[in-house]
Amino acid sequence: MDSYNAPESTPSASSRPEDYFIGATPLQKRLESVRKHSSFIPTPPRRKIPQCSQLQEDVDPQKVAFLLHKQWTLYSLTPLYKFSYSNLKEYSRLLNAFIVAEKQKGLAVEVGEDFNIKVIFSTLLGMKGAQRDPEAFLVQILSKSQLPSENRQGKVLWTGWFCCIFGDSLLETVSEDFTCLPLFLANGAESNTAIIGTWFQKTFDCYFSPLAINAFNLSWMAAMWTACKMDHYVATTEFLWSVPCSPQSLDISFAIHPEDAKALWDSVHKTPGEVTQEEVDLFMDCLYSHFHRHFKIHLSATRLVRVSTSVASAHTDGKIKILCHKYLIGVLAYLTELAIFQIE
Amino acid sequence: MDETVAEFIKRTILKIPMNELTTILKAWDFLSENQLQTVNFRQRKESVVQHLIHLCEEKRASISDAALLDIICEDVDLFDMKQFKNSFKKILQRALKNVTVSFRETEENAVWIRIAWGTQYTKPNQYKPTYVVYYSQTPYAFTSSSMLRRNTPLLGQALTIASKHHQIVKMDLRSRYLDSLKAIVFKQYNQTYETHNSTTPLQERSLGLDINLETKFKSGLNGSILAEREEPLRCLIKFSSPHLLEALKSLAPAGIADAPLSPLLTCIPNKRMNYFKIRDK
Repeated sequence: MDSYNAPESTPSASSRPEDYFIGATPLQKRLESVRKHSSFIPTPPRRKIPQCSQLQEDVDPQKVAFLLHKQWTLYSLTPLYKFSYSNLKEYSRLLNAFIVAEKQKGLAVEVGEDFNIKVIFSTLLGMKGAQRDPEAFLVQILSKSQLPSENRQGKVLWTGWFCCIFGDSLLETVSEDFTCLPLFLANGAESNTAIIGTWFQKTFDCYFSPLAINAFNLSWMAAMWTACKMDHYVATTEFLWSVPCSPQSLDISFAIHPEDAKALWDSVHKTPGEVTQEEVDLFMDCLYSHFHRHFKIHLSATRLVRVSTSVASAHTDGKIKILCHKYLIGVLAYLTELAIFQIE
Repeated sequence: MDETVAEFIKRTILKIPMNELTTILKAWDFLSENQLQTVNFRQRKESVVQHLIHLCEEKRASISDAALLDIICEDVDLFDMKQFKNSFKKILQRALKNVTVSFRETEENAVWIRIAWGTQYTKPNQYKPTYVVYYSQTPYAFTSSSMLRRNTPLLGQALTIASKHHQIVKMDLRSRYLDSLKAIVFKQYNQTYETHNSTTPLQERSLGLDINLETKFKSGLNGSILAEREEPLRCLIKFSSPHLLEALKSLAPAGIADAPLSPLLTCIPNKRMNYFKIRDK
């Protein structure tokens, strides 16, 4: 797969409704400046629309089915020092012991904790964008079965996976001692995530950081995922804004039939195979203006916190749910980009 | 008998509808059977009332007897809980044979009803009951949405007949919280809606506003976007907040909404609906 076009120096200007206001209230001015700050990221003003990658066809859909329809909490991860794919069994053993020790330390607090767990490290073959990307790997905590039979698998208590999709910009900057898997996704109890994070940090001298997704990137995701060709839609397209007002916040949800969202996108879209900043802005402005026409509310002055499509849904707190196997790599590619930006 | 007592009893009896008069007089139990038998209830009401006052004088009705009559009028006027429950249950059982109906009375004259639905041939499904709260003092009942659609007409019929009303009408109000629906329906919110300083009514908790839009996209600033498209955009907009009405009011001063607020945002208390459908004309 090709890498991105070279980024231009500034994102292109867009026309937004607030440009037409004669006077802005103090809140509007404040919101606008906050938005400008957070959107002042030198990200490329154009990206490729996710397609089915050739490499992805090697991925067994059944093997990755468990990654779909689950909510993942996102983190960025700095490169791992002296990590080796041939030591996975050893890592399983070490992490297992560490978890048991940590949980025993906290025995006074968590009475009745079940220590019958099993830790498994495994690789996720094919979960990459370019050949150069390191192999993705998975860590799972399973509850050990009570039965004597060795092969019996227990229930999965926690899952975390590390991947790198089109991580060229990071790969180029590190030496061979480092393994770059900047995107980490976790599902399961927060306490387990913390323990496992601590072990990785100690063992590989790396650093996890929660990956928040700002409104600017959520808009991009909404546009890109709406642009994806779908045979059939499994979910409505939905946006959620949070309005800071007194005495307590107001949530505004705007759900649009996915076919109508696609029709709107197709009408906005000009460049085949690509999404540009202008198109994203125009797409969002259309939604804002349709909303304003009925409600006289300026959604652009509020905070976009969640976008949801049949491809995937993302929340500003760094939560993602991927619904479509076909575009799994495409979604991860964008997230990898965000993770890398956070690390650098 | 005192003049004032006579007058009071006269006015009280005049308020009673003719078809309930004998019931109430019997419940009052002040005039004897013999006395009541002398009354021709088929006369004009004024004549009946005069006759009754005459009988009360004979028995020397006191102010406390008059007061008792007054209370009984209030009581009967409102509701006969036992009769409602029996009637309601009978109607459902006659129609379905297999149905479980349970009642619980609470303060505020509310009766909670739980109905587990079956059919002529199958046992009631206890895992998908419908809950109804009927406020006997009012013409309102609230039902949970966990209901098999085919039973809706029957439930409506049972409520109407048992509560002795003529008709049941579904309102466009939905919420996950009974209190917020009650607030709107029983007008328990702050009436001074337009002022910015009004205190937040306690019972407004967690009301939502849902608006189903099916309107064409109008290009406006954006030129030819969707200009050829005949079909409307199918949208569902939901506003939610712990204090929805207050939050919506504060949008204009914050500069997030244009003032005056769109009527779609201000109409919940007036229309007593929180679910609307908007279509192009």
